[in-house]
Amino acid sequence: MTPSFSLSRIWTLATATVTQLLRMKIMAFLLIFCVIVVAAGFAFPVMNPEQQLKLLKDVSFGALQLFSIVIAVCATALLLPRDLEDRTLYTILSKPVPRFEYLLGKLFGVLILIGAGLLIMDIAFSGVLWLRQSFVLTQSVSALQQEGAATPEAIAQLNAFVGKQGLTWNLHLGVVAIFFKAAVITALTLMISCFASSTLFTIVISFFVTIAGHGQGLIREYFFTGQGGVVKKVLSALLAVVTPDMAVFDIIDNVINGELVTLAAFGMMAGITATYLVGYSVVSHLLFVEKEL
Amino acid sequence: MKRKLQALIVLLLLGAVRLPMEQYVTHYYRTTGLLSAPLSLGLRDNLSQMGFAASLGGLRSLVATISYLRAYREWENVNWAKVDSLMQLTTNLQPRYENYWDEAAWHMAYNAASAYLYDEKIETDVRTSLYKEHVQRGIDILKRGLQFTPESARLWSTLGDIYANRTENPREATLAAEAYLQVFRLSRNERYARFAAHQYSLTPDPAKWRKAYDMLSAFYQKKRVSATLLDDLKKLEVKLNIPFPQRIPTPGIPIEAPADPYTGVYR
Repeated sequence: MTPSFSLSRIWTLATATVTQLLRMKIMAFLLIFCVIVVAAGFAFPVMNPEQQLKLLKDVSFGALQLFSIVIAVCATALLLPRDLEDRTLYTILSKPVPRFEYLLGKLFGVLILIGAGLLIMDIAFSGVLWLRQSFVLTQSVSALQQEGAATPEAIAQLNAFVGKQGLTWNLHLGVVAIFFKAAVITALTLMISCFASSTLFTIVISFFVTIAGHGQGLIREYFFTGQGGVVKKVLSALLAVVTPDMAVFDIIDNVINGELVTLAAFGMMAGITATYLVGYSVVSHLLFVEKEL
Repeated sequence: MKRKLQALIVLLLLGAVRLPMEQYVTHYYRTTGLLSAPLSLGLRDNLSQMGFAASLGGLRSLVATISYLRAYREWENVNWAKVDSLMQLTTNLQPRYENYWDEAAWHMAYNAASAYLYDEKIETDVRTSLYKEHVQRGIDILKRGLQFTPESARLWSTLGDIYANRTENPREATLAAEAYLQVFRLSRNERYARFAAHQYSLTPDPAKWRKAYDMLSAFYQKKRVSATLLDDLKKLEVKLNIPFPQRIPTPGIPIEAPADPYTGVYR
């Protein structure tokens, strides 16, 4: 008898999804990213060392965010229509594979791809940042030596100063926050694609909800603390309930400036991500289970 | 149809569950400094549509850097009004990054103020007035920055430097001293306590002279003596009419050179 839930089946579907997406050559973005990072790493040498490192981090993390959001929306939006077009979906579902396993396989496939992409980009970015940091430090120390002020105290101070703006473990937690955000967007797009009539519709609506989600905090705060009529309150509540809060993942802005991500803060973010993934997966299942294919 | 209704109910329930949760997490992140306060809608006037959308969409740090680079270019073009406006935008986007406040204040209190002071195309009275206005602008920027980062030794130090070096009113020496004392409180670097005492000694207030004398005497007792410290002590002894037997003996104590003649009040 076939088990009603099988992790190995989900894994098989996830790896097949990764292969399918890799064949679409969407990872070409990685190459573009590397060019952007290297260019940002060595641009504007006239700025002060601290600002040079900040620029590199800002540009790299901006590119990481864009990559993850674009892949999350576009790759996920393409999956179901492509399977229908290729008739792969019929082959899979004619076997004893429950529909929710199919959805989970697709979701995990995209998440694996985004996770691997972010990991590769994080390694590339860390390498360039480390090189830049070492270069900046060497330059500053030699400037101190020329002025005859290279005391051990001054060099230690310089090390601490550059180190704060350089490569830290904390920055990698920022990359994880970007992954969490992409995971929520992936689950959201999968949910939309379960009732959407076309790929374009899925992409447009997903981007719209993602953008609105970045302002959800403002709507929510208006609902909780704002002054206004009943109609405005109800509308704001409805909007806040329907859109996900994307701003809660935007800690990267302050992580770049050296704010530390505590274990509690990280745990909260992981908890919110899990809530979204479970919630959106349940809704996706309810929409997909009766969908006429 | 039944499933679609169920899906809608789950979606609404999910929203109702996560709203208070997200409200709490957002508050927690703001308290711990991981999230900045929401962008003021007034910023939309200064940012392009794309810039505003990008800063809402988690690229606030990147938009701040771009705005900083634009300010840098305007500095090269000697367009002080534009430098001020772009640096204001930059600091509003990232108010917890002390470097932006420091640099914005430096542009106004040093670069712009000096540029106007030495601009021979402008009438002398106007030059002086513009100089004072821009120094004051630098002070205002730092005070605003300190509202966001009150524990920034760097901003307190710059504020002290501006009061000490860029203003001519001896009454402002008290403000410089207080700023340096904040740096000392935050960094425990004794040099700033000496700077504070030096500034107190420059005020017209005898009570402050006494305070300066006590602080400098404490350093003297600990044998942490520099040429400037000794000079200040000698002047204060005269100002305060300290009886001769209580005055410090000048010879016999090795005098250390100032640690860095290019920093602080000696800049």
